[in-house]
Formats: sequence, structure tokens, C-alpha cells
Amino acid sequence: MAHHTMEEDLNIAPPPQAQNLTSSMVTKKWPFLVTKGRFQLLRNFRANLQKVIFGTKLAVLFPAVPLAVVADFYSLGRPWIFALSLLGLTPLAERVSFLTEQIAYYTGPTVGGLLNATCGNATEMIISLLALYQNKVNVVKFSLLGSILSNLLLVLGSSLLCGGLANLRKEQLYDRKQADVNSLLLLLGLLCHLLPLMFRYALAGEYASIATSTLQLSRASSIVMLIAYAAYIFFQLKTHRQIFDAQEEDESEDGEKAVIGFWSAFTWLVGMTLIISLLSEYIVATIEAASDSWGISISFISIILLPIVGNAAEHAGSIIFAFKNKLDISLGVAMGSATQISMFVVPLSVVVAWTMGIEMDLDFKLLETGCLALTIIVTAFTLQDGTSHYMKGLVLFLCYIIISACFFVQKTPLIGEYICIYLIISVSSGIFCETFIIFHYKNG
Amino acid sequence: MGSHETEPWLLENGNPKVLTREMRHGRTAHSRSSMSLRKKSDRTLVQKIRCALLRDLLSNVQEVILGTKLSILIPAVPLAIAAEIYGLARPWVFILSLLGLTPLAERVSFITEQVAFYTGPTVGGLLNATCGNVTELIIAIFALSSNKIAVVKYSLLGSILSNLLLVLGTSLLCGGIANRGVEKKYDRRQADVNSLMLLLGLLCYLLPMLFNYSAASPALTADPSLYLSRASSIVMLIAYFAYIVFQLWTHRELFEAEDEDEDGNKDSEEQAVIGLWSGIAWLVGMTVFIALLSEYVVDTIEDASDSWGLSVSFLSIILLPIVGNAAEHAGAIIFAFKNKLDITLGVALGSATQIAMFVVPLCVTVAWIMGVKMDLNFNLLETGSVALAIIVTGFTLQDGTYHYMKGLVLLLCYVVIGACFFVQRTPLNQADVTNFTLKPATNAVLGA
Repeated sequence: MAHHTMEEDLNIAPPPQAQNLTSSMVTKKWPFLVTKGRFQLLRNFRANLQKVIFGTKLAVLFPAVPLAVVADFYSLGRPWIFALSLLGLTPLAERVSFLTEQIAYYTGPTVGGLLNATCGNATEMIISLLALYQNKVNVVKFSLLGSILSNLLLVLGSSLLCGGLANLRKEQLYDRKQADVNSLLLLLGLLCHLLPLMFRYALAGEYASIATSTLQLSRASSIVMLIAYAAYIFFQLKTHRQIFDAQEEDESEDGEKAVIGFWSAFTWLVGMTLIISLLSEYIVATIEAASDSWGISISFISIILLPIVGNAAEHAGSIIFAFKNKLDISLGVAMGSATQISMFVVPLSVVVAWTMGIEMDLDFKLLETGCLALTIIVTAFTLQDGTSHYMKGLVLFLCYIIISACFFVQKTPLIGEYICIYLIISVSSGIFCETFIIFHYKNG
Repeated sequence: MGSHETEPWLLENGNPKVLTREMRHGRTAHSRSSMSLRKKSDRTLVQKIRCALLRDLLSNVQEVILGTKLSILIPAVPLAIAAEIYGLARPWVFILSLLGLTPLAERVSFITEQVAFYTGPTVGGLLNATCGNVTELIIAIFALSSNKIAVVKYSLLGSILSNLLLVLGTSLLCGGIANRGVEKKYDRRQADVNSLMLLLGLLCYLLPMLFNYSAASPALTADPSLYLSRASSIVMLIAYFAYIVFQLWTHRELFEAEDEDEDGNKDSEEQAVIGLWSGIAWLVGMTVFIALLSEYVVDTIEDASDSWGLSVSFLSIILLPIVGNAAEHAGAIIFAFKNKLDITLGVALGSATQIAMFVVPLCVTVAWIMGVKMDLNFNLLETGSVALAIIVTGFTLQDGTYHYMKGLVLLLCYVVIGACFFVQRTPLNQADVTNFTLKPATNAVLGA
């Protein structure tokens, strides 16, 4: 069995999309465990296991998965279940995108691209569907909103910041056409969120049936958003794929084939999805208990904490590509993921809620919509001129800090004055970590 | 910086972009614009006096006091003090203090620049980055100490608006008309960084406001909103610090405004006209006078508002900033006439960024230390105006060229905003946020 480091997979890419390239950056090789098994089947299974489970640096977090299940079984403290499930989700989210990518080798670029466009944020999708099932509409809205914010500000901001600092004396260029398309779609999504909100404020007290009309508007908007997303996929995969082709010419050409078979990949995918749904169910069920016992508002947990976990793998990959001054890939990851959530997962949730008879509309609250609007505008401004420097990244990153501070103080007046200290510590430690990473990286 | 052969991005038009004289003396566009207002003083008058000390003193006085075209307004300073002492009508004190502040603001930036000759570029740049809007800062601190938070907020907000719309708008308008048919270009990267900083500031102003509206009862959010504002202020100060590092160390080539064709008269201005210690002494003296006049302004603003029938918000949003920015304004227009847009943009945007990201959070922090509850919640109307001003300006400066239409639109935006605050005749205490929710407002709008 040949050992492929997954970095060589970079330019296999039948669907040469940036999004699945990044997660392969965190994958690695585990050099034991194969070769000795007596039976062909067993050996295959072990090889598979090695590739799938241990193929990533995040695999150290895998023990959290059985621990979470055990904790639930023995009914430990609910905050513990929540924390363990969150930890366990992190590697699973990365592995799902790895498996999707593997399957894409067998299906060809178009189906692969479609698969990626739908399963790229599978974790977020599963969490929202389960939260919908339990009728926690607010958790759905908050976590999806948080995912958009985290992709646009945190992932993009820290990538540009690290990339800017690591390549201080180089020109940092990217193709702004791709970013433009994504900004445009995000603005369309923003309109769809703004209208129900303004509808509510403008018509307050005039009609009794304001909720019904908001709901109808939201459902219509969702269908429009899904159409727009379908057109975006068509644009991306068929007519204008050269815009989205992330260019990496200098990497070598081996590693051209998939590391596991189609059916085993498929089986793994199904299995992973089941485990993700299990953990997601724990998370959704225990989020309120965790919020109570930690004294942190649900909105903070779902807007800030959940998305950080769901996006951890993409985040790391995006930063690594930014270090290598490949901003096109970083942008593809961050913007592509944000677009996907905003234009596909959100309207899908509304439509699914519709079929389940749950009244979910697109009206995020005033504060949340305001954050979203400013985030999209700031990001679009940042990506206007096709170059980058660390100041841009820093501004985006600080925007995220302020927004998270806002949701942190929202329902936690107890902590009060100390938030400033908390913030200073978090910002400075973040900056220290990043400088450390840079020096570490520069010294090899 | 390293050798230029290895740094191709420093090349512009194939020529290595060496540090110009201005950068070596820590002069940014900001400080240089007010220079255009200065006139050459001839020393013949002074040379006749015998005593060396006296001669030095007098030449100092001549350089400092009479070195600007605005010095005809200097007599307003003693007049304002006299008016206050003899208890003249308060509106008179207000208007005399305003007039007196105008040349003092210009002179402070002149002296800062003089001091920068002795301290080298980095300290000079830092000095400029902190003292560039010292008048606004002093007014704000006096208003804070007399607990007039609304005046602080309004005057700083107005300063941002006036820099972005009035100064930039008239500069682009004049420059566009004066240079018809000439290619008009500027470096948009500098403008981009400033727009980005302003957008970050906007987020910090917007969140506390939305926060108040989103809660069921505004009383519940008063404390969290305050904490949020203080945290945001710290983040803004961090961002401003990073911006200074960006501007003075890592990316200084972006902020370096070039003017090569002025070499002739540059040489004569090369040396500092006053010594370091006399510069510092003058600076301290000026600051004391500015503080005195600012105190008068803050004390009398309400009386002036009453007797003129103008709202306090109009006085502090429109009138105060025009006075505080007069020197920069004139300089920006003069450079726009010469088609040196980089300097104009550096002045207008740099000043707006400095106020939004440094003076405002500094005021919040100072208020925190003084125990005054100042948050970042400007009201709906004011925040909306700032948001639109920042977005319009950011859009205007997207493409690296300009024409007079851009300037006209910005200027007209300012006129509309000015008209809006002119007709807004609200008493000050009702304009303070808390007992004001969106619903009555929308109902009032619908009812009208």
C-alpha cells in the first residue's frame, strides 16, 4: 500500500474546488498498523481504518466521541456531554469532507462538485436539521448565522492576518472575480434576511396577521435563494469554472488516485453521518443546560462556539494556505463556505421546517441582522482590490472579537466589568499565538 | 528597510521609491497640508533689536504667532478671555472662543511638526498620530468633565462627518473643476485602509445601538451596553495602534505622499524655525489656551443655542468641527487644486480615522476612569448619518480616480445631513438614548 501524504492530493482535485483542498492540509500519515493482518479483508479494513480515522492531525480528538456517548449513557453532567460532543464533532467534520473528496474521485468532477456543494457543511446542516426537529428554531438561526460570521470574519481574518505577517515583504495577490461573485450572493442573502425584519418593524400594529405574511415572505425568499444557489453551482461548475479554479502548479503529480475504495468510502460516510447526528443530537439537547451551568447565553454558544468547532478544520487549512501565500484557496474556503451556508443551508432549513410544519422564518433579530449586514459589507470592501496585507486581516479579526463581545454581554450581566479583561487577554493571546505560529513556521 | 533590488514592490514606475524628505522628518500628509497656509516671515524687522535674548524671543513670537494667514483671528483669544472676565453675553464668549480656536488648532499642528524635526521620523509620526486632533480631544475632555456626554459625542461625530464629507467633498469638487482634462489619480490603497478602519469603527458604534433596540426594555441593556462599549473601545485602540505600526513601519510606502516638483521652495523649509525646547514650551502654552477656550465653548454652548434658536446638536455636529478643522480644510483644498490628491486624502481620511478610532475610544476610556458612564451609543439618526457617510466615501474612493461630480455628491450629502440636524430641534436630554424605542419612532413616522 503506497503511502500518500494527503498534501499530494492537492492537485488531484477532479472538482478543483478550494474547499476540499484545505481539509486535506490537516491530514497526515500514521505509519503503523497496516501490513501485518493475515486476512485480506481484515487487512483492508485496517488500511481503511488507518486512512480514515488516523489520517488527520485532529484524530487526537476522536476519543471524545466514545466518551460523549459514555457520558450520555451514564448520564453525567449535561455540560460535560455538551463539551465532549463539541470536541468529538471537530475531527468528524473534517473527515466528512475528506470522504466526500474521496468519493468525488470515482464520480467525476461534476458530480463531485455537486457533492461538495451540498455536503461541504454537512455538520452545520445536520445540527440545524436536528435542532429543527426538536423545534429549537433559535438555535438553528443562531448557529447558521454564527457560521457565516465565523467564516467571513474569523477564518478569513486570521488567514489574511497570518498570510500578511508571514509574507510581509511579498506581494499578496488573489483573483477578485471569485470574491466578487461570492459577495454578490451574500448581499442577496442579506436582502432576504433584511426584508422580513423590516416588514415586521414597518407593519407593526397594522395587520393582525403579520406573522403569517412574514412567514410566507420567508418561504418565497428561501425558494429564490435555492434557485440562486443552483445557478451559482451551474456558474461555478459549468460556465465559469476557470474563475474558481484554484491554481497550484508547483505541486508534484503523484497521489493522483483515491486512497480508499468507492463503497468503503460510501460506507464510512454513512457511518460518520450517523455519528455526527448522534453527537449533534446531544449538543442540541444539552445546549440549554450547558448555557445555564456556565452562565453563558445560548446566543453566544450557538453564534460563537458551535461554528468555531464546525469550521475548525477549514479554518486551519485556510490559514496554512494563507501562509503559503495562496490566497485564492483561502478565499475559496472562507467565502465559499459562507455562501453555501447563507444561500443553501439556511433556505433548506426553512423549506424543511415548512414540510415539518414548523414556522421558521428568515427574520433573524435586529442585532443579529445588523452584525450580518456589517460583516458582509466589511468583507466585500476588504476584497475589492485584489491585494491583501495584514491590516485587512486584523480589522476583520477585530470585527469578530467585537461581535462576540456583543453576544457575550447580551445576557450575561453577571460577569460585567470583567469582560474587558477577558477581551484584552483573549486578543493579546490570540496575537501571541499567531506570532508564535509564524516564527514556528518560519523556522520550519 | 533593505536594499531596493530585492523589494520590487517598492518600485513605482520603475524607479525605486526612496523615502522622501517628508518621511524623514516624520511629516505625513496630514501635517503638510496646513503648511500651505503659512507665509514666509521676513526677519528684517526683528534683526534691529539689540538684546540677543529678546531678539530670539521676538523672532520666536513672529514665527509662531504670525506664521499663518489665520493669525488675523488670534486677537479673538484675548477678546474671548476679556469677554468672559467682564461677564459679557454668553453667546459672544462662545463665538469669540470659536474664532480664537481656529488659529490655535493650526498652530498646534505647526509646532508638533517643528518638534518632529528634532525627534526623528518615528517619534514625529507618533506625535502627529496622537496630537493631530488635539483640539477636538481637549474639547471632548472638558465636555466630559462637565458631564456633557451628548456634546462629546456630537462634536466627535460631527468631526468625522465634516472630514469625510465636507473637507473631502470640497477638495474633490475644487480639484475636479480646477484640473479638468488633466488625469486625476491617487493611490487607492491608502484610502482602502482608512475606509476599512472606519468600517470597523462603524461596527463598534452600531452594535451598542442595535443592542439597545433589540431588548424588551432599554433599562435592561444599559449596563451590558456600557461594558460592550468599553470593550469595543479597547479593541479600537488596539486597532489604531496596529494602524500606526502599519503606517509608520511595515507599509509606510502606502502613506508616503510624493511631491517631487516642489524641491525649490522645499529647501528653505528644510530646517526647523524654532528650537526644540521653545517648541515644547509653545506647545504647552498653546494647549493651555486651547483648554481655556474649550472650557468657554463647552460652558456657553447651551446659552448660545438658546439665544440663537439653534439646537445644541447642530452647533456641536456642524459648527464646532468646521472650526476645529478649518486649517486642515484649507490645506486639503489647496493640495486638491494642485492635483495632489494623495495629500488631500491623507488629511481628510487620516483625520477621520484618527477621530473615529483614537479620540472616541480614548474619550470612553477617560470617562471610564473618571467614573462617567459614556457608551458608544450615538442615536439612530447620528449613527445612520455616519454609516452612510462612511459607505458613500468608501464607494467614492474605489477606483483611484476622481472628478468633480464625486466631490459634489459628497458635499451635498453634508448639506443634507446639516439640514437634518438644523431642523432637529430636540432638547438635549431627550436626545439621550434610553427612553426611546423604535416602535414609537416608526409609529410617529407612519403617522406623519
